[in-house]
Amino acid sequence: MACKQQRFTGMTLTLPDQRARHWQDALADLLDGQTSVSVTVDAGDWVLGCRDLQELLSLLQQEGHVLDRLTSRVPETVVSACSLGLDAALCALDEPLGALDRHPSSESGELLVHQGTLRSGDHLESERSILLYGDVNPGARISSAGDVFVWGRLRGVAHAGCNGSTSARIVALQLRPLQLRIADLVARGPDELPQTGLAEQACLQDGSISIEPAQLQRPPRP
Amino acid sequence: MSTTRIILICSGKGGVGKTTTTANLGIALARQGAKTVVLDADFGLRNLDLLLGLENRIVYTAQEVLAETCRLEQALVKHKQEPNLALLPAGNPRMLEWLTPKDMQSIVALLEQQFDYVLIDCPAGIEDGFKNAAAAAREAVVVTTPEVAAVRDADRVIGLLNTQGVTPVQLVLNRVRPKMMSNQEMLSVDDVTDILALPLLGLVFEDEQVIVSTNRGEPLTLNDAASPAAQAYNNIARRLQGEDIPLMDPSKARRGLRARMRNLMQTRIF
Repeated sequence: MACKQQRFTGMTLTLPDQRARHWQDALADLLDGQTSVSVTVDAGDWVLGCRDLQELLSLLQQEGHVLDRLTSRVPETVVSACSLGLDAALCALDEPLGALDRHPSSESGELLVHQGTLRSGDHLESERSILLYGDVNPGARISSAGDVFVWGRLRGVAHAGCNGSTSARIVALQLRPLQLRIADLVARGPDELPQTGLAEQACLQDGSISIEPAQLQRPPRP
Repeated sequence: MSTTRIILICSGKGGVGKTTTTANLGIALARQGAKTVVLDADFGLRNLDLLLGLENRIVYTAQEVLAETCRLEQALVKHKQEPNLALLPAGNPRMLEWLTPKDMQSIVALLEQQFDYVLIDCPAGIEDGFKNAAAAAREAVVVTTPEVAAVRDADRVIGLLNTQGVTPVQLVLNRVRPKMMSNQEMLSVDDVTDILALPLLGLVFEDEQVIVSTNRGEPLTLNDAASPAAQAYNNIARRLQGEDIPLMDPSKARRGLRARMRNLMQTRIF
């Protein structure tokens, strides 16, 4: 039990942003004035190998602290920490789909924002337009009564305007879908690979789904 | 909190090498000095005992341990050559219904007190067998091959593992054929990691010796075999232990007799 109590009283040290300062330089400042023995370290987006982590541990030890828990946004760091037998957790930048229920996607009016990659078998569905930060992997589906925006690679199935809205569109940074659906029309994805670095959109034109470079402005309604 | 590492070895698709990976990693970890137990959670079609050559030594299973008709020590089957490795068969293939996620957690809680590594060999599929096996795992190794179907199923499994809070999840790419990869007849390592977006724990090259060793019940890592698969499994085990070992590069794998001769010529003998 004693060990449990310590866990919750420990202080959290947040390592600085990679671009701002090296964590080793910042550690002394972070530890300055820390009284509790056990500390939690948030390693942010630092990629720390086993050697780095051992260094971190010994630096903490020199100052009389014990690492209680490590969190990181980088899987590699968590892997190295686990292999050293530390209690480490990934605080995901891209939340898994299961997190959808726990943290409801932030609402901003008409738009549903979802963070995280949709993996095979996942199905994200909404009455609102969807903005997805992440990829739609092959085998996953995303469907919306409004528009679908994918800030990532769309490689699964996307359905925009599933209530029949023919002005809906599907926009992705990389559009290589298995299948596209707009309203009640279905199209297979293009066979050739798209140009990289060019966001594309699919919308209805003359009764069929066509793909073109993404437009910043919504096309005027017919 | 104990530092025992409870690792689920899963794939979604069948036949990609979960059981082979479990057996070889188990032996490799044990040979590196870690007290390891392999838990066969695929008890409907249990094969792990065959691969380890321990089939005829099984007397009790986890089922009896939980029913308290025997002690844990009686059910654990120690490997004949590698005393650091033990096998715990999960149960009777004729009674498929008995195991629940809770049972799995209590079995693993018992094992945790004695071992450094608990490797859980997961059944194929994503139904109850998978859910049971995943219930007790803290981290996972997803085994896949460079084939579209295997990658797709692995992706599904990774999604499920994420929802269950199993982290970290790492990837082993099995049955890589360097020649086909360089001719672009097979998905490349990048194609696979691109979709699955997981840290790569290791590459295992296609190796005929695996079939031989599987049939014999002696995992490749048991002997200091120079086979590429044995080396790969040893490397994976060392990476699991936290060592920093570079990945094999499929484009530099030896190709044929000529390349092998060239390698030989370049080897310093004196």
